[in-house]
Amino acid sequence: MKTLLTTALAAGALAATALTGPAFADVEKAKALIEKYSKLPSFEAPGPAFDAKACMADKKMFVIPLTNANPFNAAISQGFVDAAEIVGFELRDWETQMDPAGWIQGINTAVAEGYDLIDLQGGLPPEFVQPQIMEARNAGTKVTATHNWDATTQAIPDFMDSAANTDYVTVGEIIAAWAIAQTDGNVNALVLGPDEITPTAPLRDAILTYLKANCPDCKATYINVPVTEWATKGQPAVQNALLADPTINYVLPVYDSMAQFIVPAIQIAGSDAKIVSYNGTPFVLDMMRDGDIVEMNVGESLGWVGMAGTDANMRLLCGLDPVTKLNTPAYIFTDANVETAGNPATFNDGYGDVHIEGFKKLWGIE
Amino acid sequence: MPAPTTTEGYEERIAALEAKLQVLEASVEQAEARRSWDWKDWLERYGLILAWIAIILVLGFFKPAQMFAWNSYASMLGSNAMVVVLTLALIIPLTTGDFDLSVASVMGLSSMLIAVLNVKMGYPIGGAIIIALVAGAVIGAINAFFILYFGVFSLIVTLGTGYFINGLILWVSNSGTIAGVSMDLVHAVILTRFLGIPIGFYYALILTVVLWYVFQHTALGRRMLFVGRGREVARLSGVNVNRVRAGALIASSVMAAFAGVLYTGMRGTADPSSALAFLLPAFAAAFLGSTAIYPGRFNAPGAFVAVFVLSTGIMGLNFLGVDSFVQNLFYGGGLVIAVAISQLIRGRKPMA
Repeated sequence: MKTLLTTALAAGALAATALTGPAFADVEKAKALIEKYSKLPSFEAPGPAFDAKACMADKKMFVIPLTNANPFNAAISQGFVDAAEIVGFELRDWETQMDPAGWIQGINTAVAEGYDLIDLQGGLPPEFVQPQIMEARNAGTKVTATHNWDATTQAIPDFMDSAANTDYVTVGEIIAAWAIAQTDGNVNALVLGPDEITPTAPLRDAILTYLKANCPDCKATYINVPVTEWATKGQPAVQNALLADPTINYVLPVYDSMAQFIVPAIQIAGSDAKIVSYNGTPFVLDMMRDGDIVEMNVGESLGWVGMAGTDANMRLLCGLDPVTKLNTPAYIFTDANVETAGNPATFNDGYGDVHIEGFKKLWGIE
Repeated sequence: MPAPTTTEGYEERIAALEAKLQVLEASVEQAEARRSWDWKDWLERYGLILAWIAIILVLGFFKPAQMFAWNSYASMLGSNAMVVVLTLALIIPLTTGDFDLSVASVMGLSSMLIAVLNVKMGYPIGGAIIIALVAGAVIGAINAFFILYFGVFSLIVTLGTGYFINGLILWVSNSGTIAGVSMDLVHAVILTRFLGIPIGFYYALILTVVLWYVFQHTALGRRMLFVGRGREVARLSGVNVNRVRAGALIASSVMAAFAGVLYTGMRGTADPSSALAFLLPAFAAAFLGSTAIYPGRFNAPGAFVAVFVLSTGIMGLNFLGVDSFVQNLFYGGGLVIAVAISQLIRGRKPMA
């Protein structure tokens, strides 16, 4: 009788499961994604090979970073400079301090001095300088942006000639997958981001969507904290969220620089939550190496980003098939490999340097 | 405005002035005591504390589990230590009639100097802190030099020096954030707790008491108030106005540098820009605090309470899960309304 009852209950449970769908997290899928991006990046050519020296012989490029006072942008600019040196064309890296006046002056200078292409690099919002972009294009200068929009969910506006975009969706998915894999599908995440920054939306949505789709029991709350208020609002927001819900086990800021305000919030609130984030910013990798709160960080070689941006720009200038997605792969840093990023960490170490040889070969330079 | 060159009779004149003032204050107090209990006066003094209690009760009605939990307050008190110290730094020159807009920059510079010296250059943390505090004193002296020697308005001088310091911070840090500051400092600021509250809070509390004592119970405090209320009158009475103003500016910068020590200790990290965002909350707390405890004067206990009234509101709004912009409405709107109500009670007399 007991066996019969058990069988009946089991059958009932099975039927209920069949009706509602499996209520289990797809931990295996998450682990597979983690494994894929834990491997050292390999070089995949973004397009067919071409003779870069010949096509760039009479052309010059002008790069305007969001700001030079940010090591992130400085590292990308260095990638552009290195690429121009390898190919042998004139490239100017404009000095700016995150001021629209400086960006506008840069565009005007590029047009006046007859540059063939202007690249708004690393998050400089082209919308802010749309009239100047139109003017530049009317004068025959091509205008593009590197590492600003998402490659799949955001369209390049019509007022731009092109753009070399980043796969932010995959980055967001890796972050969410990590939390699922580490907790066996019991994630209670606090996701943070500054909504005013262009890549926040794809990163934020990818994290939240992946958690929802692959982990029915996982919980996630999102808080918007503008960049200028990370210190004054970010820390109290995280601290109070952890006090309100002590079961939060992951804090997922979409940009890792926020970690400096989240670590004290976690410590003061007496929480065990871990931080997982994106950007591979050196000081955050240092925090990972020296402490236990930053658990994983998705990075990308910024020198590679600069070279990939140069590649896309050269193709645009030379009339080749356009490349709108940077081929810079995401790479996972944890305690296991953080030493490879250097001590103190840098923006370029730890990723290997297959891209240098890869691009040289692609551009016909040996 | 030349300072009196002779000190002959100076202390006597000051002592006589203070004696007169004490007699005057005593007679006013007696007159006040003779009157029946003045509810307006009481409400003005303690209105902010009542508002604090009201905020806790109203928000507690919606979120009792969090708003009535000691742990929430312990965390909130511990994480605002540097804001209290920065606010105290502001009220010193405000009392002597000068604005110091460079305090947040000094806090940022001190924070970054500690990180650069300790992490990049291998200085012991104690030495790094002392250098940061000395740097604060030097900046205070530079502010005082330009304000007093050239007679430039303090707002302009400190706006300029603040901007200059921001450049210095970017230069010494190579525009980057530096992590890995000695854990000894982190332990000395947030990881050690007393009654559940991170110990940084008690440093802020001690400084508040010290400043309260200096302002309320010492001749120096009274001289500072004279200078702030009327420089010319103070000068004619024999107060060395320049010395008092210079001292206040230097003390302000050293205090701001100490806020930087706490800021670095809280995070174990220093970055080139985030400290600047604390200027507005500190000003808000300084002015809100001047409406309470000793209304009409910038005062340390008022500033202390004001910081925590504002952060209690923010904490409650966080618990309620309201959008980020509501916090701005609360901070900005709350400040203007609180100061306006206080003025209404005082019969719209101009604030000092």
